[in-house]
Amino acid sequence: MLKHFSNFWNKFKEYIVLVILVLISLFTLSNNNSNSIKNVKTIAFSSFAFISNIISNITTSTIVKNENVQLRKMNAELMLQINLLRQYGIENQELKKLLSLKDTTSLPLIPASIVSKSFNTTTNTFTLNSGSNEGVKPGMPVINDFGFIGIVQNVSDNYSIIRTLKNVDLHVTVKDERSRVNAILKWDGNNLILTNIPFTSDIKIGDRIVVSELSTIVPISLPIGYIKSVEYSTTDIFNKVILEPFADLTTIENVFIIKMLQSTEIKNLELNFYKKGS
Amino acid sequence: MKTKFLYSLLVFIPILIVQITLITFITWNSIAPNFILILLVFYTIKNNQLFGTVLGFTYGLLLDLFTGGLLGSAMLSFTVSGFLAGYFSNENKRHIYFKPLNFSLIVLLCAIISSIMFSFFSTIDFSRNIFTSIFEDGLLPGFYTAIVALILIYFYPRRKLIES
Repeated sequence: MLKHFSNFWNKFKEYIVLVILVLISLFTLSNNNSNSIKNVKTIAFSSFAFISNIISNITTSTIVKNENVQLRKMNAELMLQINLLRQYGIENQELKKLLSLKDTTSLPLIPASIVSKSFNTTTNTFTLNSGSNEGVKPGMPVINDFGFIGIVQNVSDNYSIIRTLKNVDLHVTVKDERSRVNAILKWDGNNLILTNIPFTSDIKIGDRIVVSELSTIVPISLPIGYIKSVEYSTTDIFNKVILEPFADLTTIENVFIIKMLQSTEIKNLELNFYKKGS
Repeated sequence: MKTKFLYSLLVFIPILIVQITLITFITWNSIAPNFILILLVFYTIKNNQLFGTVLGFTYGLLLDLFTGGLLGSAMLSFTVSGFLAGYFSNENKRHIYFKPLNFSLIVLLCAIISSIMFSFFSTIDFSRNIFTSIFEDGLLPGFYTAIVALILIYFYPRRKLIES
């Protein structure tokens, strides 16, 4: 019996090992959301992020020098704009006080640098050098000076992983700033597309798209991009709208994490409402 | 064999750092060469199919863990790639397979299979055209990886390959 097994093993060992390893891989794939696997991933990526952080600091130092010159110029231009905006701000504050509106503009920001990027075309993620020590929590929105970048997915003490706009798992409720039409934004592996937009909706090329107030994951309005093209389908009742993001995800290096999460009070209220309904 | 396996894991670490941090400099239109796959094919041809299959699984596991991606996707694609590359690990024909053009064609085959499998298991949205997906996620990165493999093996010392 043992000899027979030994002969079988010697003859087919490559195939046996392949089948076992493929089965382990498939089992791991199907258990990605389990807490134990999440913990292992968090420990592994945070320890490796420490090394890649050192290397990316070295490689980016030359780029930073050139960037500094451009930033100084931009700084001067922005200073002029800020003066103008400050006046508008004061006027705005006074008007808001008059209308007894709550101030929603002072958002605490956590600065972070991108330590590594996954260049996977479907599930794009960035590793940032800010973690729970800086107050980062899963679900917080990430922006840069152009607009919305993504959502914090996983956090360790000093690092965090974000799902970017180019990640098929990230779906955000957005709206057309001009016509106020709401839609779902998602990455199809090739383009950023707006779904659930009927033929009759008022959508034009060049319209600015921002995060909708209806969004459950990003509770504030942030700019995302503009409409690049609209593909009219002859068979479907919805148009395929392609979006060009304001932020260039391939060249981006520094971001800000907005230190805010969706109100738990609203969340609980909605959950109670749905429970009652069901 | 154990020493060879440990050595190939040691070489993997600096290559992984290059793959994650410095790859941005040679990325074209979100298409990047896969240095880890080139390393896997190289060690598989140098050793045998069983070695390649286990090494592919280990490389995939480490890659998934260190990049924070979907755990299991790279494991699966690299395991199959290592197994495929193992068909070219014949001891008597090794010197033929290590010729630059042959080597890059083996890498191309493995890279296409690996990229398609990886994108298939990491994409949830199946609304994309299957041929577009194969072309963009499989063929383009596969060709880029094969070209990089051709350059690397061309400059790799021939004497070392023959000695091995």
